[in-house]
Formats: sequence, C-alpha cells, structure tokens
Amino acid sequence: MSSPVLTIEHLRVDFPEVVAVNDLSLIVEAGDVCGLIGPNGAGKTTTMRAVSGLQECTRGSVKVDGHELAREPEELKRRLGFMPDFCPVYDQLTATEFLDHFARAYDVPDRTKRIGECLELTWLTEKRDALCEELSRGMKQRLVLAKTLLPNPQVLLLDEPASGLDPLGRIELRKLLLQLRDAGKTVLISSHILTELSGFCNKAAIMERGKLVMSGTIAELGQKMGRRQMSVKWRNAADQALQILKGAGVKNLETIAQGATFEFDGNVDALDGLLKTLVVDGVRVTEWRGSGDDLEQIFLQSGAKELM
Amino acid sequence: MNITENPIFLTQKRLTYRTGVLAAVLIAALIGLSLLSGLIAYLADPKALTFRSPQEAGKVFYGWVIGVEILVLILGGFSKISKVLADDRKAGLWDSNRLTPLKPAAIVAGYWLGSALREIYMGAVLAGIGLVIVVLAKLPVTLWLGTQILILSTTLFFGLLASLAGMAFQRPQSGIILLLPLFFLQTFSFAFPKFTIINFLLPIYGIVNLFQDPNQAANDYNDFRNWSDWPGIFALPVPPILLSLGLQFVMGLFLWRATVRKTANPFQPLLLRWEAIAIFALLVVVQQGLIWGIWHGRFPTVFASDHKFYERESLLPIVHGGTILVGVFILAFASPLPERVRVEALRTGSGNLRLVFSRSAVSLSLALIAVAAAMSLTHFIFSFKDRGYAWALAMGNLFVFLLMFSLLLEYCRLRFKRRSLGFVALWLFVLCILPFILAGVFSSEALAKLSFLAPGTVALTGTNSDDLIVPAYATAIHFGVVVLLFIGWQRQWKLLIAAPPLLPPAR
Repeated sequence: MSSPVLTIEHLRVDFPEVVAVNDLSLIVEAGDVCGLIGPNGAGKTTTMRAVSGLQECTRGSVKVDGHELAREPEELKRRLGFMPDFCPVYDQLTATEFLDHFARAYDVPDRTKRIGECLELTWLTEKRDALCEELSRGMKQRLVLAKTLLPNPQVLLLDEPASGLDPLGRIELRKLLLQLRDAGKTVLISSHILTELSGFCNKAAIMERGKLVMSGTIAELGQKMGRRQMSVKWRNAADQALQILKGAGVKNLETIAQGATFEFDGNVDALDGLLKTLVVDGVRVTEWRGSGDDLEQIFLQSGAKELM
Repeated sequence: MNITENPIFLTQKRLTYRTGVLAAVLIAALIGLSLLSGLIAYLADPKALTFRSPQEAGKVFYGWVIGVEILVLILGGFSKISKVLADDRKAGLWDSNRLTPLKPAAIVAGYWLGSALREIYMGAVLAGIGLVIVVLAKLPVTLWLGTQILILSTTLFFGLLASLAGMAFQRPQSGIILLLPLFFLQTFSFAFPKFTIINFLLPIYGIVNLFQDPNQAANDYNDFRNWSDWPGIFALPVPPILLSLGLQFVMGLFLWRATVRKTANPFQPLLLRWEAIAIFALLVVVQQGLIWGIWHGRFPTVFASDHKFYERESLLPIVHGGTILVGVFILAFASPLPERVRVEALRTGSGNLRLVFSRSAVSLSLALIAVAAAMSLTHFIFSFKDRGYAWALAMGNLFVFLLMFSLLLEYCRLRFKRRSLGFVALWLFVLCILPFILAGVFSSEALAKLSFLAPGTVALTGTNSDDLIVPAYATAIHFGVVVLLFIGWQRQWKLLIAAPPLLPPAR
C-alpha cells in the first residue's frame, strides 16, 4: 500500500448561511488519481480551496506529505499545485513572462529550462511569446496548468479543469491529464461531468451537500453499490463460455452478439477468478467491462443524484 | 527578499512598461519645463512678471511643481495601486500569488512599490525640475529637500492605504471611502492650521511652513492662522516635518500590519482590537496635545477673558466631532462580521454572550471612550471644579454615541445581513442629522439639541451650566435609545449563536 500524500481530517468550512463542507475526511495516496464528484454546490470547490489554504477552515486539518497547512503553510504550498476552475492570467504578459513570474515566486531552479519543459508538456511551445490575452480559453487553461506544474508539486488539485472548454479543448485536456497520471502525479480532480473522469481516476470521493457520501477505489465503490453489471465479448467457444458463466452463478444472463451481459454479486477477486476461468478454459475474451467501474453508475447509485 | 527580485514588483514593472511610460514622463516634463521657463523668463526680464523678488517667483513656480507632483504621486498613485489590487483580486491573480510560497509581506511590497511606477517616474521628473527651479531662484535647498521628503513619505503612506483599500473593497473606487474623513476634516483644518492633526498627517503644515520666510515677523493679526511657528504637543514645540514623518511612520506601521495580515488571511478583520485602540489613542493624544497649549488645562478660563479670537469657541467642539468620526471609522473597520464570531464560537464550543462581548465592537467602543475621555480631561485639569460638568456631559455624549453606533452596526448586520449598510445609514441619519433639519424647518433650537451629535458640541463651547440642562436631558434620552438597542443587539446575538448548524438546502 502506498503512503498517504494528502490527508484531510474532519474538515469543516462554514459560510454565513450554510456549512459548505461538513466533517470531511479523505486520504489520497501517492500516485492516486482521485475524482471528487458531486453536484453543483456539493462543496467540491470549497474543499479544494480549503486544502490549498485559500479558504479558512472552521475545523479540521490538512496535511500534504506530512506538512500541516495550519503550521507549515509555506512547506505545504511548495508541494501542492492548485488549478482553479477559471484562468487567472496577466493578460498583458506573454506566456513565458507569465510562467517566469510564478517560477520566481516558487524559486524554481533553472527557470528558463523548467518553463520550456512546462510549455512543451502543455503543448504551448509555439505560443511562448504570445500575449495571454491572445490565447484561447483552452490555451489559457493549459497555461494555468503549466504554471501549476512549474514547481513540480507532489499533489495536484484540479478544480473543474474542463469547465468552459469546447469539445476539442476537452479532448486535449484529457490527453494532458492522462500524461500526468502516467507520470505518477497524485491528483485530486473535481468535476460534475462524470464522463470527464471515467477511465482516468483510480479512486473517487462522492460529495453531497458538504458531506462525503463515500470514497474508495473505483472497484471498491462499485462493490459497495452491490450487484455489478458486466458485459463480456469473445471470439470463440460461446457455448463453453455461457456454461462457465452459468456455473459461476451469475444472474440475468443474456446473450448479445459474440458475447453476453450478466449481473454478478461476488467481490472483485471472485470476478477476477471468473475471468481467469474463461481464459484458462480456452475462451478468447476480447472485452471484459463492468458497470461498477463506471463512475456515472456509482454516482447515480450513491444517492447524490443531482447531476448537472 | 530584495525588491528587485520580487516577482510581483518585476511583473508590475513589466506591465507598466508594456502599457507605456514615455508619454507620461514627457507630459510631466513638459509641465515642469513650462514652469521652469516661466522662472527663466522672469529672471531674464524681472519687469515681465509681477513678482517682488526671484525668491518669490521661485516659490510660486516651485509651489506649482510640487502641486502637480502631489496630484500625480499621491492621488494618481493611490488610485493606481487600489485599482491594480482590486482587479487582480477579481481576476484571481491575487489568490494565485497567495498560493505561492511568497511571504505575505513580499506580496504586499510588490504591489505597493510596483503598481504605481509610472506615477513615480513622473514624480521623479517633476522633482528634478523642481530642484533646478530652487537653485535658479536661489532658494534654500532645504526647501526642496524638506518638501520632497514629505511628499515621498506621504506617497508611501497613501500607497499603503491604497493597498488596504484594494484588498478590502470589491470595487477600486470604493477605496475613496478611506480618504473621505481626511478630506472632510480638511475643511476645518485651514482655520486652525497649527492645531489640527490632519494638517500633519497630510503634511500640509510642514510644506507650507517650509515656504514661510523665517525672517518674517510672527503673524500679528491672527495667531490661529499662523503657518510659521512650530506646533506644540502639550505645549512642547515639535518641528512640523518631524511630526508629519513620525505620524505617517507610526500609522504606516499599522497599515502595513493590516495589509500583510489581510494577505496572509483575507478573512481576518482589517484591524486587531489592540491596533484599533492604539491608532485611536495615537490620533487622540496628538490632536489633544496640539490644542493643549491654548488653555493649558484651564478650559475655558483663559478664553473667557480674551474674546479677540472667536474661532477658539469652535475648536474643542470640532475636535469632539472629529473624535466621534474617527471612532466611528475605527469601530466600523474593527468590528468583526457576526458569522466570524459564530464560527469562533463553534470552534471553541463556547457559545455564550461573554465571547460575543469580548469580540464585539461594543466592548471596543468602551475602550475608545476611555482613551478619549482621559485625553479630553487634560483641558479641564485646572478648571475641573468649575467646568467638570461640561467635560462629563461631553464624555457622556461620546459614550452614548459610540455605543449607539457599535450596537446599531452589529444589530443591523445581524438583522438585515447584506442590506445592513443602508439601515445603518438610515438610522444614523434619523438619530444625528434629522433633528437639525427639523430644527431648521420648525425654527426650533430645542429640536437640534435632540441630535446625538449635539450635547457634546454644546457642552464644549464654554456655555454656562444653566444652558446645559436640555443637552443633559437629551443625553439621558439617548442613553434610553442605547438601552433599547442593547436589548435588540443581545437578542440577535443569542439567536445567531443558538442557531443549529445550517446545511445547504435539500435538493
């Protein structure tokens, strides 16, 4: 098991009329990509602002790599990159100057090289001398992400990173986030558009009305939701495959073209065992998908149903 | 961190250069050179202009130069800094900078010294031309040095005030609220240049004093309009430049602390309670000290035998009014938002009225009243037996006024929330201004005495005890209003503290 990098304990944030975040505890481990899911107003942005130190907490503690926000804010800030849901840029600076400002603020060694790396990572090298006001919304978003990556933070907080982006911008951003995941960054990413997060996160935390409804790995969450909807496709031995599935006690088994759908009550290990049996017995499995891996299903079953 | 390595300073410098500096510098140079050419024309042909001497001509032209310099540096700089900060806050850039490991002091310094660079360049050009004028007119260089030090110090002081305004107000133009009391009090200050603190906080007396001819005999027709002497603090003469620099330095320290604190945590109140008391005490001590030399603790005995200078009658009431105004501003800035007190009550688990009282502006107002009363007493030390009642009435008035304001402010915040400002303004108008309007409409002086502002003013004009009966009754009525407000205030706080934790509305 990896060590916890981001630890949130009993976090509470009060606003004049509401408790925006109520007793939220969450642990994100090194290399995790955790989706913070919830409808608008669930408290996702407030949680992120509180973790980054922008929002005062009523109670609770936040630690990044052992450094507590209340005691060592500067140490924490060096290890944490927060990207808000809008693009704060200096319109009259070029992309390079904008990054230079923050590279100096973070005291980044070998600034020029690091700025070049971040521009390249976010596909903005060609726009290095363009004024920020000339960049498209998607480019600004990527520039702010580049700024967030400058000090090479251990933990990235990305608040609705795709909000306001057109489909092309979303695809580009998704590619970029996948790169970050593959680079081993620990990421806490919030969104209320679940398709953005599907296939990207290995963990999820579901919020509703300021409270954490549930959290865990996607598989754990799927399991918590109860019976798992599965679909399997194969190239050969259909009869044999159906026999194996029936023998495993699956429910509502239905055949589809070159495959079948079914419901499975067992845990993840049992499901893995079922797949192994199919393969060992000579079934050439071409697709093996569980709806329990689908964030949308998990979210809909969690009770926090007000999707925007 | 060295300011030349401060990223915010460097970025503000970049932004200033990107939008252009040359044109602004040339405008300043043209204005300065026009004035310089006027002096040169006079020196070449003294009959061309109606000055009595090159020195007089030099003073007039140099006076215009520093007038423009003040306009550019102080007013231009103030609006620029507050606008940059307010815009950056709105755009989220202030938060982006706060997310970096930069220390709050470095962030403040970057904005403070970097935002108004164009204005600083313009000021530097004008200062240079001013020096040439001073040298050509054979004026003492100390005139140039003294005025430039005062202008620089005031620019820095106003820059900090602008930083605070940019952080505290949503719209940059709202920052002008911080300047209003200064300009309002300025209207009184020219009648008593040596006796009003505002002439030293804004270094008007110091600058005008430098322009005065040291060989000229003391102003003989009205000591009150004399700009030549040194002012006295409790009759101890103090050089006006030092007084201005000292005042601005100490006030600037408090402003610096407030801006740094606000940068570290924007949810903190503008002023801590001890700072609020210290600022109020500083202003009150200096102001009362400046006028102490008039009566030497025998108010109004000396005055009674000397009717030559009628203005003296209004000096103490004006100071009383100024004290109320400053108290009101300080209470408004130091008063915590009710929700913040509630959050603290939740945090500590002690949701009782003792906690509320210790955080509220009401207890703070009591401290301010004590300070003001002690300093006001200095004018009555040797005449207390005869005039103690006037002091007591004036302080009773100050007591009910500041209590009324703090109770009203918090009651309205609790009761009306976002609409509170309008209701505070409405009730202040009803309690303080309306009686004067009604007195005018119905030609009744007694109605004017019902105003919360009236009793103290009347008591400090040196009137007899017989004339103070109505103000004394008015103060008793005001106290009744305060009691009613206290009951309402207490009830609202109890409701807030006892309220269960709220959750977002169910969907």
